Amino acid sequence: MNAHSSELTAVAKGITADELNKFYGGFHALKDFSLEVMPGEFLVLLGPSGCGKSTALRMIAGLESISSGTLTIGDRDVTEVLPKYRDIAMVFQSYALYPHKTVGENIGFPLKVAKMPKAEMEKTILAAANQVELADLLDRLPAQLSGGQRQRVALARAMVRRPSVFLMDEPLSNLDAKLRGNMRAELKHMQSTLGITTIYVTHDQIEAMTLAHRVAVMKDGELQQLGTPKQVYTDPANLFVAGFMGSPPMNFLEGEIKDGVFTGPGMTLTATGYADTAHATLGFRPEDCSVVERGAGQLDARVYTFEMTGDQSLVTFRAGDKPLVVKMPNDFEVAADETAGISLSTSSVCFFDQAAGLRIRPVS
Amino acid sequence: MSAATRRYSLFEPNKIGELSPAAKFALYTFLAAWSLFVLFPIYWLLITSFKTPTAVNNGPFFIPWVDFQPSLHAWRDLFVLDFEDTFRAYTNSIIIAVSSTALSVLVGSMAAYSLSRIEFAPNLITILYFVALLIGSCVAIGVFDADLWLTLAVAVALFFLLARAVGKLYTVRLKNGDVLFWIISQRILAPIVVVVPIYMMFQSVRLLDTHIALILTYAVVNMPIVVWLMYDFFSSIPRDLEESAQIDGATMIMTFREIVLPLSRAGLSATTLLVMIFAWNEYLLALFISTSRAQTLPILVAAMNAGERGILWWTMSVAIIVMIIPVVVLAVVLQKYITKGLLVGAVKG
Repeated sequence: MNAHSSELTAVAKGITADELNKFYGGFHALKDFSLEVMPGEFLVLLGPSGCGKSTALRMIAGLESISSGTLTIGDRDVTEVLPKYRDIAMVFQSYALYPHKTVGENIGFPLKVAKMPKAEMEKTILAAANQVELADLLDRLPAQLSGGQRQRVALARAMVRRPSVFLMDEPLSNLDAKLRGNMRAELKHMQSTLGITTIYVTHDQIEAMTLAHRVAVMKDGELQQLGTPKQVYTDPANLFVAGFMGSPPMNFLEGEIKDGVFTGPGMTLTATGYADTAHATLGFRPEDCSVVERGAGQLDARVYTFEMTGDQSLVTFRAGDKPLVVKMPNDFEVAADETAGISLSTSSVCFFDQAAGLRIRPVS
Repeated sequence: MSAATRRYSLFEPNKIGELSPAAKFALYTFLAAWSLFVLFPIYWLLITSFKTPTAVNNGPFFIPWVDFQPSLHAWRDLFVLDFEDTFRAYTNSIIIAVSSTALSVLVGSMAAYSLSRIEFAPNLITILYFVALLIGSCVAIGVFDADLWLTLAVAVALFFLLARAVGKLYTVRLKNGDVLFWIISQRILAPIVVVVPIYMMFQSVRLLDTHIALILTYAVVNMPIVVWLMYDFFSSIPRDLEESAQIDGATMIMTFREIVLPLSRAGLSATTLLVMIFAWNEYLLALFISTSRAQTLPILVAAMNAGERGILWWTMSVAIIVMIIPVVVLAVVLQKYITKGLLVGAVKG
């Protein structure tokens, strides 16, 4: 790499969002959104549609104005700065490829705008195209490419300028399932190779778990929890995060905690150290429990369905009107309509306060 | 489904090359007959332009050198004897059609672009207040003989002083759709209905029978069409493209030049062609607003219908032929852009 092109390799910058708010008329789309992204970090904004994650991303990009709060990229306050001066690149869900420009022209557009000399530009375009294996398609128009190829063009265009921040708005959601898996791995590899700070928006929790250094879970314009994928999965801060993460999601049973014992419909479980709560919810992951003989577990229920997925078996019970899913090894079998016991490991269950939806932790 | 996949209609006809000989023969026969049917009036026009008045009046003759002897009589009439009139009408038509089209396409497409990209929320009460002040001023000047500049000054002052306060009385916000509908509603009424006020307006500023009067009138009359058509074209360009260009560092002008303009070229070409044809062929408004100096070709053609010498079919044919040539040329030139634009299309994921 020569001296000039190494100048193009920007140093990864951190991003600090401080109490960002967004109002659309009377609608409060983003509420006191505070977040610190480390330089070189891969951060995923995760949440259901309409949770404000795309709004947050577009505010960081400068495509939406910031109603209140401050945004810093690197050491610079960019709250009021136009997108083009923020030193960012964005990959859109629709890829936003310019349909009248060839692949080469699309990738080279940021360079053309920056008035890079032609010879150097061609070299840089080719290097970027090689990185995403598109070098022999440079003369095609976007309409002549497959979905995956378009996705690569969008990525190449984003990284050709070596921005200090990547913003990605559901970049994989338009691909079919198999391609999505491949692109996910490539994306992760590319990000760690380039070391560029990345904020990635998705509603797919598998993408979030696999890609992120840290995940920010959002709901109704509010940040619910920020942590590593493992923290968010095993140590959810509230009912929403617990129910959103994982597939199948966490099982919930409603009941009461009194004198260190949780009492639910037809079951009891020791809850040593937890304060008395009249309306509590017990949560446990499908993999943190097992199907046992009738009477041998903490509760008995009727088997509703039994599903073999290949690498494991899913047993769905009905407790009252709620489904409870238990993950078992793939050699396990049980017949539907049988009554069986469910055994929970006390150490891996979570308790939540029903009214506030917040996690309850042991007092001691 | 990818955008490249072509969608076939339920009854996709075979390509001409794949038809059986009999079917091909039938098809070509039909097409030839249809072409004859469509092109015959133009042929008739063409031969009539080469006939002498006697040849026209003697009956329907269609084959030159057999039925009648071609003559340049009518062409000489129009281009040698009446050269000045013809040339003036021709240049008038060109100046007026080109200028009014340029004006309405420029202003109209800018309006359409902003309507497709910016959310406007004008307050209806403020607009009504503006209209009330306007009517008040007109009444004061026209009926009570108030001083023009004084009245205007008072009206402008009143507007800026009280517009906000009046707007707060009662808030009814219009949306872009309302603005758009208001613009197109200006064209629902046939323009000729307001020809008398237009005439009086231009009379009062002494612009009757000038290019500028016709250019302004045509531009205003055609503007709603431009806004309506271009709004649709601009709306079909995904906003992502412009946002992406912005993030990539492009200025607004560069975004417009590099992204929006190339993608809307087809729409602009089609709209320009349509508006140009309207302006080129317009007769009724021109009849009122122009009398001699600013007369356009349609007026010239119509005049040959009503002279003391009866209907001059031969010279009229010549005039019509020279009149349709520019439109045909323009259509051929612009067609390249129209089809090219359609081929590029937008890319969806």
